[in-house]
Amino acid sequence: MKVSIPWLKRFVNFDYSASDLADVLTMLGFESEVVTDFSSLKNIVVGEVESAEKHPNADKLKFCIVNDGESSHEVVCGAPNVDAGQKIVFARVGAVLPGDFKIGKAKIRGIESSGMICSERELGISEEHDGIMVLDSSLKNGTNIANIFGPMYDAIDIDITPDKAFALSHRGIAREIAAKLNKKLKNPLNSKRVIPDSKKKVKVVLDKKGGCPRYIAGIVKGVKVGPSPQWLLDYLKSAGQKSINNLVDISNFMLLEIGQPTHIFDLDKLSKEAIEVKWAKKGEKFEALDDETYTLDSDHLVITDSVKTVALAGIIGGKDSAVGDTTTNVLIESAYFNPIVIRKGSKKLNLLSEASRRFERGADPVAANDAFYMIVRLMEEIAGGELSSVVTDKCTFDLTPRKIVLSNKKLSQYAGFKISANKVKNILSGLHIDCKSRGEGLISMDIADILSDTNKLQSMRIRTEFRPFMRNIVDHLYQMDKITRKDASNYRHRIRFGSKETLIELANMLKREHSQDLPSEFVIKSTGKKNINNRDTQKWICTIPSFRGDLVNESDLIEEVLRCYGYDNIDASYSFSSQMQYVEDEERPISKLKQYLSSVGFQQCYNNSLQDKVQIQHFGVESVAVMNPSSDKMNGLRTSLHQGLLNTLDFNYKNGSQNVLIYEQGTVFKNNGEKLEDIDQKNAFSCLVHGDFTAPNVHFNPIEGNFFLLKGLAEGIFNNLLKINIKFIKESHPYCDTFHHIIDSQKNVVGSIGIINKEFLNKMDISYKTDVCIMDIDTYRFKEYSGYSVKAKDIVLYPMVNRDLNFILDSDIELAQVCTAMKNVNQALLKEVVPVDIFESKELKNKKSVLFKLSFQNPKKTLEDNQVNSIITEIINLISKKFDAKLRDQ
Amino acid sequence: MDKTINEIKTSFHSDLKSCKTADDLEQVRIKYLGRKGKLTELFNQFASLSNKEKPKYGKKLNILKSDFNSLYNDKLKSLGLDTTQTKDSKDFSLPGYALPKGNIHPLEQVTDEIKSIFKSIGFSVAYGPEIDDDYHNFEALNVPKHHPARDMQDTFFIDPNTVLRTHTSNVQIHLMENQDPPLRHICCGRVFRNEAVSYKSFCLFHQVEGLVINETSSFSEMKGTLEYFAKEMFGKDTKMRFRPSYFPFTEPSAEVDIWNEKLNQWMEILGCGMVNPNVLENVGYDSEKYQGFAFGMGIERIAMIKYGIRDIRLFYQNDKRFLEQF
Repeated sequence: MKVSIPWLKRFVNFDYSASDLADVLTMLGFESEVVTDFSSLKNIVVGEVESAEKHPNADKLKFCIVNDGESSHEVVCGAPNVDAGQKIVFARVGAVLPGDFKIGKAKIRGIESSGMICSERELGISEEHDGIMVLDSSLKNGTNIANIFGPMYDAIDIDITPDKAFALSHRGIAREIAAKLNKKLKNPLNSKRVIPDSKKKVKVVLDKKGGCPRYIAGIVKGVKVGPSPQWLLDYLKSAGQKSINNLVDISNFMLLEIGQPTHIFDLDKLSKEAIEVKWAKKGEKFEALDDETYTLDSDHLVITDSVKTVALAGIIGGKDSAVGDTTTNVLIESAYFNPIVIRKGSKKLNLLSEASRRFERGADPVAANDAFYMIVRLMEEIAGGELSSVVTDKCTFDLTPRKIVLSNKKLSQYAGFKISANKVKNILSGLHIDCKSRGEGLISMDIADILSDTNKLQSMRIRTEFRPFMRNIVDHLYQMDKITRKDASNYRHRIRFGSKETLIELANMLKREHSQDLPSEFVIKSTGKKNINNRDTQKWICTIPSFRGDLVNESDLIEEVLRCYGYDNIDASYSFSSQMQYVEDEERPISKLKQYLSSVGFQQCYNNSLQDKVQIQHFGVESVAVMNPSSDKMNGLRTSLHQGLLNTLDFNYKNGSQNVLIYEQGTVFKNNGEKLEDIDQKNAFSCLVHGDFTAPNVHFNPIEGNFFLLKGLAEGIFNNLLKINIKFIKESHPYCDTFHHIIDSQKNVVGSIGIINKEFLNKMDISYKTDVCIMDIDTYRFKEYSGYSVKAKDIVLYPMVNRDLNFILDSDIELAQVCTAMKNVNQALLKEVVPVDIFESKELKNKKSVLFKLSFQNPKKTLEDNQVNSIITEIINLISKKFDAKLRDQ
Repeated sequence: MDKTINEIKTSFHSDLKSCKTADDLEQVRIKYLGRKGKLTELFNQFASLSNKEKPKYGKKLNILKSDFNSLYNDKLKSLGLDTTQTKDSKDFSLPGYALPKGNIHPLEQVTDEIKSIFKSIGFSVAYGPEIDDDYHNFEALNVPKHHPARDMQDTFFIDPNTVLRTHTSNVQIHLMENQDPPLRHICCGRVFRNEAVSYKSFCLFHQVEGLVINETSSFSEMKGTLEYFAKEMFGKDTKMRFRPSYFPFTEPSAEVDIWNEKLNQWMEILGCGMVNPNVLENVGYDSEKYQGFAFGMGIERIAMIKYGIRDIRLFYQNDKRFLEQF
């Protein structure tokens, strides 16, 4: 909201500069920025155009001589309205205009221009840029512009949070400044009743469902529509409000002055001199002031003249009943609408107005009356005319001020320190909250006694006695484990919001069911004048002004006190309440995995969870759709991390990095049905490799980032990090060619690896050069396994005996099977079988020569040669037979 | 024999010492180590020794020969004439083995740092669902339907009652529903906002939020906790301010700024406040008995301040040239 500093000064005097004021308000909870601060502008003065002639080289430019009080300058100006004799705003060479626009000497179409004649936009006053500003001819040349415009147009912009409806006006902001400075707020406008001559009355009928709790209407006749007076124009301009005509300007002025939206109807365009507030017909069409036609719903509240709809209540007026140049008689509306009704209505049409913004946050039901009379008086003063009807004020709103009790103890408990009672009172009264002290003492009561006597229950005061009493019983029962947590919560809710009858019912029930378990005594704080000086138990009964609809309970008041006390004045306490419960960070094991991968050369990625639904479908799992996506590219939730990783590969490939080693952890989603519980939200972990693992270098040939790299990585992760044995089992996969499940010894799938199908990559439009390999790790299994502790084994001191065996085998035999077969010959002594060399050649045809390295060890004694030899013989016989192999040396 | 050996030894030493040039040294080599040199002479004499003396002198002569050889080689080197060395040596100016470089994502690094700071002052870490119902994301947090505060967070809906969480506060509700005070937790994870994608906003970001509930934790303690955090995170001289703000789930609420010397301005880093009693009541806590504070921060914002990153989209583009810097 643009707030004009001169306008604020209507209500309170202060010396803050624009930027100081922005700081003060920011620290009071109104985040502010300076819009215009003329005191910060230098070298901008009143100048006089001594002569203005056509630029010799340009039709639309003028060549002027400007006197700035010190000397004359040659200036080229493009404004159509510049003329000799005018007083204008002159920016000298060296001046800096808002937006950091520096004025220097410049050659324009062959003529040097020294300075600039300014428009309103260039000075940050308004958006006006059709011509230069022409000033009052009585101003002296050379006068600093800050002295003239500062008091007129200095402004700040405030970001007002949704809870602070009371601050959506100049009076509201001024009230905060006055409180800060300990000053009284002025009342610049007269809101005294006007007594009309006429006895005529506008008939007002309110809706039945409380959509409009207050509606004030009256008629002013004989107005003359025209331009507004200068003072009104200046204020509106300083707050960024365009002028329309005197009638509309008055209504807008009132909105910005005290925050009360009002509406002015052209009386002669109404069917009757009557107002009926009611709910719109479903599908009803309504043409509004903004020239748009809206289709209304049955929960839109409308204002009718009892025949046709003339306004969308609290949001926007109708086109047909709007005031225009020929208007002479008007009907003034000043009302209070239900915030939720306005909110729903404006949301549904996606139609926000200055009025709806105030009503949906909660306007001031009392100010509706003030605003009405201020408007009548302003109208009489500015536009002529006079009040020609009795004022109708239909009000179903309870205007009795709300009272809230604030206890000093609670305040200091929340704050963490003590604030003096005087300070609290000062702060609250500065905010127009009236507070009266009330002390209290302690009275002990016999619970059984009270419970057995309905009269006693009846006589208890509900807020200060009955509720605490019941709460005490419930807490006791819950602590003694006599009632469940759910019940306790349910009872507390009933105690908090229930009526006296509900409480008595609950009391009887508890007495019936728990007569053995009740606490014996209840200590209640009771009011009494004798304890008034006891600060700790001091309480204030606070009367809340009508414009503070946001203040509902004690914590709201505590916030007000601390906000005005100044958060910066509160000392930070480092004595932390160390009560805590140990809960293991379930993600800790995964961070070990990430560190492992990153340390061997993988980059961690963060990809978007929102992806293109059409693309997601290719990954074969039913995705969760977003109802209101911001674009077609982000209308579904990812079902696999593969999608993001493939896109990352594609992006980097296209940007010159062909070697891509990446991984990601994140949530993937699967849609199993309509309800929230049917959405599977799973934590996933995937790796992708493409290109080379190592960069080109002089020492060795690059290692390929292929299937075997991922397989080795999987072995590293499961064997080394987790100390579990895994196997790779071949499986089929919708878009992987060579796909294996990684299983543990109990046959649980702990992960998978595969090579992505080329056709799939082409279909997904992914750039690639080599195999694209993918590995998934089941994070849930990973976490489970990482919980196991490592048990150290004794080191075997007897030497390892190594033997090599070279077999000629059929090319298509899988070596893993051969190794397993060898190991099975003597699992106790044969520790390891590894193929270390494979040789294939034309001479060997469809055979391969494989060199196996076998390692033997006996944990208890040194192995004898003959023992090893006999195992070797057994192995040779077995392998030769089983795989039709030949030992190479034979 | 002994005498001859000693004579040859002495003269070899003195001859070697007086060598100045390669030619001198070559003369010495011919004189002693050459085919007709003194050592050969000695070995010839050795043949005529008795079998009894042979083992003793054989050993002596072998030692003498190897001593002469090594002394000769040393001299050769000291005269700068040795060529065998440079033939075998490597070019140590070559780059090392090109090992692959991996990194943890900058957002993860910042999250880990924040987590470890709060863990060091007794916070536990909790996680929760990214898709949740309206109740846990809004209503339980004191943001009823049709409340203007809903405009503060543009929401992605799955259906009218199911949302992509707009903050991690839903985890706080789940936590409180399942356990009684005291609580001292941080929750972290991914959250979503339906905002136009630009250099300063994305459709998702990451949060860390904290929640402390017991019978005594006050505004003052909240200030202390967050000051401790800011100093650990941004350095001990960090200047910070708490300014009043509004969140439906806390009251009083504040936003915390730290002073950025380079940009000469305050930068907002987090929001916080005392937990609104309505929130406590919604989860079945007795708000007369329990109180506490909550805070929340965007990881992206902190990472951007920390590393001087200007475009939030870089975090999700996964450009190797970006990721490799961290």
